[in-house]
Amino acid sequence: MIGATLSRWTMSYFAAALVALMTAEGLMAAGYGYPAAAIEAPETLILVHIVTIGWLSILMCGALFQFVPVLIARPLYSDALPLPTLGLLLTGLVALVLGFLQLAGHAPAHFAFFPAAAVLLGSGFALVLWNLGRTLWSARPLPLPARFVVVGLFSVGATVFLGIVFALVLGGATSHSHFVTLTSAGVPIHVIAGLGGWLTFTALGVSYRLLAMFMLAPELSGVTTRGAFYVGTAAIAMAIIGGVAAVCTEANLQTVLSVAAILGLGAFLLYARDMQHIYRARKRRTIELNSRMAAVALGHLAAVVILIAVLLSFGALRQHIAAVVFLTCFGWLSGLGLAKLYKIVAFLTWLECYGPVLGKAPTPRVQDLVVEGRALKWFVLYFVMVWVATAALLLGEPLAFRASAGVILIATVGIVAQIVRIRRLADVSATARLPAGVHAPRLLFSLVKPV
Amino acid sequence: MTVEAAEGLAEKVRGALRGVIDPELGYNIVDLGLVYDIEVAGDNVAIITMTTTTRGCPATSYLKDGARDAAWSVPSVEFVDVKLTYEPPWTPQMMTAEAKQHLGITDGDGW
Repeated sequence: MIGATLSRWTMSYFAAALVALMTAEGLMAAGYGYPAAAIEAPETLILVHIVTIGWLSILMCGALFQFVPVLIARPLYSDALPLPTLGLLLTGLVALVLGFLQLAGHAPAHFAFFPAAAVLLGSGFALVLWNLGRTLWSARPLPLPARFVVVGLFSVGATVFLGIVFALVLGGATSHSHFVTLTSAGVPIHVIAGLGGWLTFTALGVSYRLLAMFMLAPELSGVTTRGAFYVGTAAIAMAIIGGVAAVCTEANLQTVLSVAAILGLGAFLLYARDMQHIYRARKRRTIELNSRMAAVALGHLAAVVILIAVLLSFGALRQHIAAVVFLTCFGWLSGLGLAKLYKIVAFLTWLECYGPVLGKAPTPRVQDLVVEGRALKWFVLYFVMVWVATAALLLGEPLAFRASAGVILIATVGIVAQIVRIRRLADVSATARLPAGVHAPRLLFSLVKPV
Repeated sequence: MTVEAAEGLAEKVRGALRGVIDPELGYNIVDLGLVYDIEVAGDNVAIITMTTTTRGCPATSYLKDGARDAAWSVPSVEFVDVKLTYEPPWTPQMMTAEAKQHLGITDGDGW
């Protein structure tokens, strides 16, 4: 089979991820976690993991089950695994949250929540790696965008490994000296592997293909693209492998991470050059909302890089690391995620509903499922308030942060409402909505016929 | 079947394929240049050679089936065979002037 097909459970992943996002935003607005609590407090860690696992990782997994087959023009290894995988990831996240609540003294002490989280999340991500890994393995030699995904999968493996070590140490299941040392000093590696290696590097790889596809731009595989891949891979390897080695041998972790940061900056500059080329060389001069908002999210990635550089030059990175992580998670990763969700849900819904009657009945276009003008205001509000919230964190204004988090939640609800309307075909004209043979789509999963 | 009759039937098939749109671009697959060839064999078998805008596109199987069903709707077509190819790969330059204008695409060199 040359083409890829619909993944039945992708919508379930997206729905679960959006619920996690809105939950996290609600908690921030309610003053839960940082800045009301310390950055290493259990409440903050609950918030961070709802965002990184519940929202970003589950969104990424759902998207990869659908788009890795597109990257390599091969079917997914198993269509049966994504549902149990989602179950393991969600129950693992619940166990992890309970573990942190236990740490804060808000959950019964006799339940082994951390070891349970380690098993459940470890199993869930292992299934992700197995399914996507087997899919990618079948398509060697891989095109460049898929190689980014491979590095991202290695990174999530490293992130989860470190997370399991932390959970087992915190849960009292092990007191191995290297594991204890890793738990006390390895958090920066865990964060860089997760946000940088897994979420960012994978997003960069997929963006090469999706942005070119949606804007009719040439697909790149030249010197800058290969450079971005190899330099970025070196940065991630330095941070993860070098970082763990430095912690275990009591070498200077800061030096290792500084080298990784320089390499990361080089990879970012090469990637930025490629993106500039893709946007400039696109054949569709009028680009859709998702591509415009993706460009805004890419601008936030640049802002993250600049913010890190500025804070480093003032020796204030450690003091303001929360603002950097917030801007990374909400300006860059969530901004890109919401922008692409707006497109992907419309595209997949169209395929599910109208694909089977193509050639038999008149069908609307994908763009007929959306009303971009209505969604635009929510995206603008979202991005503006991310800046306000970041500024509030930098200036140490917790009340302003909570207020802006509340408005971010409102903007997110506005975007989610648009996505639900897409799924309900609410904006398709009544005459074109349900031609003979078309069934209204289910909200949470896709009705897919075997091909 | 005479050459003229075969060409006439191929044109009817081409017209039917204009009812099949690429969902992403929102324009019919003929004017987008996705249909590379339509051949009608002696026993009224329509052989369609087509491509998609990008290899691995999730819409591939739907576009292929849609082209088959549209061609089969043409009276006197007895059988339809749709062949998918990526040689040569599709580029926006393969669109008709109308399709380019519809999508706001300007003519230019290369891709």
